Amino acid sequence: MREILVLSGKGGAGKTSICSALISLAGSCLACDYDVDASNLPLLFELSQVQEHSYSGGQVAIIDSDSCILCGLCEQMCVYRAIQEGLVSQLACEGCALCRYICPVDAVRMEARSSGRWFRGQRPDGKPMVYAELRPGEENSGKLVAELKDQARQAALQENLSLVLSDGPAGLGCPVISALTAVDLVLMVAEPGVSGMEDLFRLYELVQKRPTRVALLINKHDLHALGSQRLQNWSREKEIPLLGKIPFSLEVADAIGSGQNPLEIDWFRTIMEDVLEGMQKALQSPIAIK
Amino acid sequence: MRIAVAGGKGGTGKTLFAVCLAEYLASPQTVLMDVDVEEPDAVLFFLKTPGFKEIVYRPVPLVNEEKCSHCGYCAGICQFNALVILPEEIMFFPELCHSCRACYYLCPCGAITMGLHPLGEIEEALLANGARIISGCLRIGEPRSPGLIAAVKEREKQASWAIIDCPPGTACPMMEAIRGCDYCLLITEPTPFGAHDLKLSLEAAKLLGIPAGVVINRWRGNDRGIDQVANYAGVPILSRLPLMPELAASYSRGENPLLTFPDLRGLMGEIISQIRGEMQ
Repeated sequence: MREILVLSGKGGAGKTSICSALISLAGSCLACDYDVDASNLPLLFELSQVQEHSYSGGQVAIIDSDSCILCGLCEQMCVYRAIQEGLVSQLACEGCALCRYICPVDAVRMEARSSGRWFRGQRPDGKPMVYAELRPGEENSGKLVAELKDQARQAALQENLSLVLSDGPAGLGCPVISALTAVDLVLMVAEPGVSGMEDLFRLYELVQKRPTRVALLINKHDLHALGSQRLQNWSREKEIPLLGKIPFSLEVADAIGSGQNPLEIDWFRTIMEDVLEGMQKALQSPIAIK
Repeated sequence: MRIAVAGGKGGTGKTLFAVCLAEYLASPQTVLMDVDVEEPDAVLFFLKTPGFKEIVYRPVPLVNEEKCSHCGYCAGICQFNALVILPEEIMFFPELCHSCRACYYLCPCGAITMGLHPLGEIEEALLANGARIISGCLRIGEPRSPGLIAAVKEREKQASWAIIDCPPGTACPMMEAIRGCDYCLLITEPTPFGAHDLKLSLEAAKLLGIPAGVVINRWRGNDRGIDQVANYAGVPILSRLPLMPELAASYSRGENPLLTFPDLRGLMGEIISQIRGEMQ
């Protein structure tokens, strides 16, 4: 089984729109959305038979008010300042259990916390999609991503699919690091603007820490011709295959916004077909060991 | 007044508005804080003189091999599996450690002290317009950003205006960024993605009890459901910035939007006076 992950560092570079087009084109693949705190990929597919599963990625301290003697020891020792007058703030508690171990009257117990939910649904082409929803403000988005990755692989095995196509989260933090586990190819989507480039370079540095393959797709390339040229030079220098350049266009965004299939736009379909072919070719290359 | 510029979805224009507001409010009493520490970009849009630079650390355990009896107690109590004690070897995984210090307090041999693990950098610069910028930049590969976000916000608490450029999403980094702010300005776009993610960020602001208002960026004559989300949450739509391809191109080149498009000044003034009105 192969997994391709679409990442961009910067938000709004077009990951989700591009990923959805690639999923529709590839057809026979499992789709997965790792953006667990703002999951958008499912909005683009009419999913049926959606099953919901609750997820607990950690624990939270509960103080039994009957046994608590309000000695204040846990309050003093908690580095997260999660305890006040014998009450634990669910939001601040990280579940380290220090309070449980030091409580002189054994008034603290740890309980599984509800961190969110994950879902599995069926796309119109009959193939599955998995995605998740983290509760706002929750920790452990990386753990939920890891759970989702497990579920995606199980579902792909069940359905006999050899490709997992995943939409990644923005940024470089814990959900991205977790999503990068055991990925065969990272498709980096970049905008040529000053911030888009800065974010791409940081993303590339992070991706380099893992043994994986990389490829580049430039979005809105004509917004900044000079920047786009710099990106192309950079990819050549780093020997990163450039799979395509998408012009700035409202046509695709509008099609997606009004629920139409952007692949009906000829020029967009042609670019996406090239990208898909380029990705399949990139998957044949060996992984460079650094 | 501390204004958090947030918005759920990435790429809706948080940094654009944070940069414009800081430029509009420019004075020695104004500070722009970039706490999108995974991708700090606000500084790219200004002429500046670099100021101090500081590395931020977080505490992590250091095991003294001579005192350690390899009993494995610390590994047993660590809820995050950051410590593995083998008969011959001690392994510590800093990226899993939550810096809770349980191992340090509870080690039966007193073999653990607290050391420091680098989280990232804070950089301050004086802007040509008289204001200051303080940016946090997360060390690449470091998964835990909230500590750095808190450290950036801790640096300046006296400024009469603090504009805080927040990370996308609604998980712990975004919550840490908006915590303690007086107002949460949520930038969104009129698309199904924008509406979906706005709903989540409004929940996050509500959870912390911070008043919020919405700005629709790249507006094209239709709110496309953003108005319903705002109405449902009982928050106002403060402004709509029409889609301007020439603004997108100029922003790509790293030009300061308020200097290139002086008309935006009026829009920023309107947003600020509306926030003032909301706060009364």
